Amino acid sequence: MADKKITKEKTKVYIQTKVWPFLKNILINHNYVVSLILLLIIGRIASSNFLTFANIMNLVKSSTFIGIIALGMTMVIISGNIDLSVGSILAFTAANTAIMFNKTENVWLSLGYAILVGTLLGFINGFFIGKAKVASFIVTLATMAAFRSLTIQQGQGGPILINQAAYYSILRNLGYGTFLKIPYLVWIFLIIVLLMLFLMTKTKFGRYVYAVGSNEKAAKLSGINVDRIKIYIYSLTGLLTGIAAFLYVARFGSVDTATAGKSFELDAIAAVAIGGTSMAGGKGFIQGTFFGIVVLYAIDSVLSALRVPAFVNDLIKGILILGAVLLQKVLNNRKANN
Amino acid sequence: MIVEFKNIYKNFGAVQALDNVSFLIGNAEIHGLLGENGAGKSTLMNILGGVLPPTSGTIVIDGVEFQHLTPHQAVELGISFIHQELNLVNDLKVFENLFINREITKGKIYLDKKEMIRKSNEVFKRMNISIDPTLYVRELDTLEKQLVEIARAILFESKLIIMDEPTTALTDKEINNLFSIMRELKKNGISCIYISHKMPELFTICDRYTVLRDGKFIASGFFKDIDENKATELLVGRKIIEEKDIHRPQLQTETVLEVNNLSCTPYFHDITFSVKKGEVVAITGLFGDGRGELSEALFGARKVANGEIIKNGKKLNLSSIKQVMKSGIGMIPRNRKERSIIKDMNILNNVSIAHFNAKHKKIFISNKEEIERFEKNRKVTNIKANSPKDPITSLSGGNQQKVIFARWFELDSDVYLLDNPTQGIDVGAKFEIYKLINYLAEQGKSIIVFSSEFPEIYKICHRCIIMYRGEINKIMNHDELNEVDMMFYSTGSNRKES
Repeated sequence: MADKKITKEKTKVYIQTKVWPFLKNILINHNYVVSLILLLIIGRIASSNFLTFANIMNLVKSSTFIGIIALGMTMVIISGNIDLSVGSILAFTAANTAIMFNKTENVWLSLGYAILVGTLLGFINGFFIGKAKVASFIVTLATMAAFRSLTIQQGQGGPILINQAAYYSILRNLGYGTFLKIPYLVWIFLIIVLLMLFLMTKTKFGRYVYAVGSNEKAAKLSGINVDRIKIYIYSLTGLLTGIAAFLYVARFGSVDTATAGKSFELDAIAAVAIGGTSMAGGKGFIQGTFFGIVVLYAIDSVLSALRVPAFVNDLIKGILILGAVLLQKVLNNRKANN
Repeated sequence: MIVEFKNIYKNFGAVQALDNVSFLIGNAEIHGLLGENGAGKSTLMNILGGVLPPTSGTIVIDGVEFQHLTPHQAVELGISFIHQELNLVNDLKVFENLFINREITKGKIYLDKKEMIRKSNEVFKRMNISIDPTLYVRELDTLEKQLVEIARAILFESKLIIMDEPTTALTDKEINNLFSIMRELKKNGISCIYISHKMPELFTICDRYTVLRDGKFIASGFFKDIDENKATELLVGRKIIEEKDIHRPQLQTETVLEVNNLSCTPYFHDITFSVKKGEVVAITGLFGDGRGELSEALFGARKVANGEIIKNGKKLNLSSIKQVMKSGIGMIPRNRKERSIIKDMNILNNVSIAHFNAKHKKIFISNKEEIERFEKNRKVTNIKANSPKDPITSLSGGNQQKVIFARWFELDSDVYLLDNPTQGIDVGAKFEIYKLINYLAEQGKSIIVFSSEFPEIYKICHRCIIMYRGEINKIMNHDELNEVDMMFYSTGSNRKES
């Protein structure tokens, strides 16, 4: 009898000290997990085919392009800045990668070229933000327009087509093939997620990004070269966008200069927000953005399983983004008041 | 206007900011209000301006008794408050600023710019100054801005103008100009409360004085009856300093840091001094002495026009903060919240951020090493925290400051620049910080403390450099230190006002 009481007490203490704080932490900082689980449950109820392996893979696969960009965006937002130009960088880089591929018919050269071009465009952003100290919103708003215009000019308003023979023989497989039943695209996405997670949590650079976003003055007075860090952040975001652009070419086999990557920046920002990263900078998680982008795509999938007309998709998305951020805010305020 | 304070008390929680203050300000009089920081001057002025209600006591204005003024009443009565940081909108024109919230309109909506400009010109003419009312305020210099504030007070027929340190950003010539306008106002029957730390100015312009100390009324009287020594004595009182708690370690002979002719206009010029091994040097002065800028310059955070810094015989590369850090100089900036705390990070990461920058060669970080370093310095600095993973914001001000000390201990710097290291922390924690400074000196480190608190300076330093308007006015050894002399040199009383 007494033993039973003691174990009961023990369980109670265990729940209070271990389980409850853990749940609370998830609710406050990582509530995208809850959103995802809820969405999956709803999807499963709506359609018995929803939780199949193929469907889940499809979900992750379609989120790859914006997902990789959103990882860079996470870093940008943690540092207290924004990047509106990623969609245009993707378009420009994809168009030029396609041209490069047509010329060389070499996958690796094209990949290298995509990375180079993306990084360069990101560096331009970083230079104006870090060195010239213009607000990132303005700089990337300007480059968003400029890069897009350059791309359309290159395509003379139309698409840039790829040499179909070469595409089918060496590039297409990257966009559609699988390894161990998992699409290449998903593999690449997951590897980049892990690399970015490592960069942000286990390296000095990652630390500096958080420090700059949380208190730029203090970061500077601790000896951090804030200007240079900003240039690195934007160059790296450009680099990631370059990789996304290369995968985009591999997947779609042509680049429509006017629409490729259009409004990707908005979906990327949405994913970052759902993933629990603070828009004010200083706080955020790479893994959150990964779930955030999957949640964003799961909404589409669930709504179609529910046979909701596609017109209201963005409405539901909007509500979900607001809801997730509001929940974080409310719970955070409560934490602060206690 | 005649204003009489009668038994004013004001408590903020347990803190007694004003303790039975009573005195009188006469008609057409320039009244100097004296007191150290925290003496209760601003609290009292805020009560007069209706911003704060007194806990008890009354204010009698021209025979009418008020328990509690509202800001609106204060304005209606003709009380204007000109704050140290001026209350003008830079992106509006001068006349728009003058008439802000009291615009003259044709009909109900349409602004009558012509009339407002005409009235502006009229008031400037009355003050004998020429400012174009259609200029943007941001195009004006500091004196002109000050004058616009005064013009606003005159325009709405103020009878009492409160000026809080109006001359800190002005040159001597501009100060004289301001004074002649004030005398003009006095002739027109307007009273003025003049708050300043600068003795020569107070004696030049004010008729009567009132001294507050620790929230208490100390004295009132005519300036012509006292001299600057007497005034300083009233200001600081005779405080007993307990010396036994802190001892200053024996000085070593080796010179570590030499500063030669360092200049950065307009903040400071020709700063030359040196610091020995194991020495604690205090640099003090009053608002506008340029010592905050000097501390930044010594750390490479502010470009200097000329001069050099020599550390251990080698000229210091001041091109970046990181370079200075690598040469063995560490800094605890003033204003902890704004300049040193990284609020979204935990205690551990706050400590290690400087180390990663200047000492950590590898790209990757190791949590294990990070915690080892932290634990080593945690003992020395005596940080009281449950876990190094707790957010920095969960700590008290004193413990936060110890975290920032630990940040620099990890670099094992030779020279520590401490800018206002005990700002905003309680007495007990202050004492712990003094002990830390002691400990550093014992280890043979050189320390430069930028501070304005005499008891603190007296407790910890071997020498004290007193700055006045960007220049070294006096260097005193510890045995010469006393508060009256220090205030004398800080206020520039040894210099003639030109």
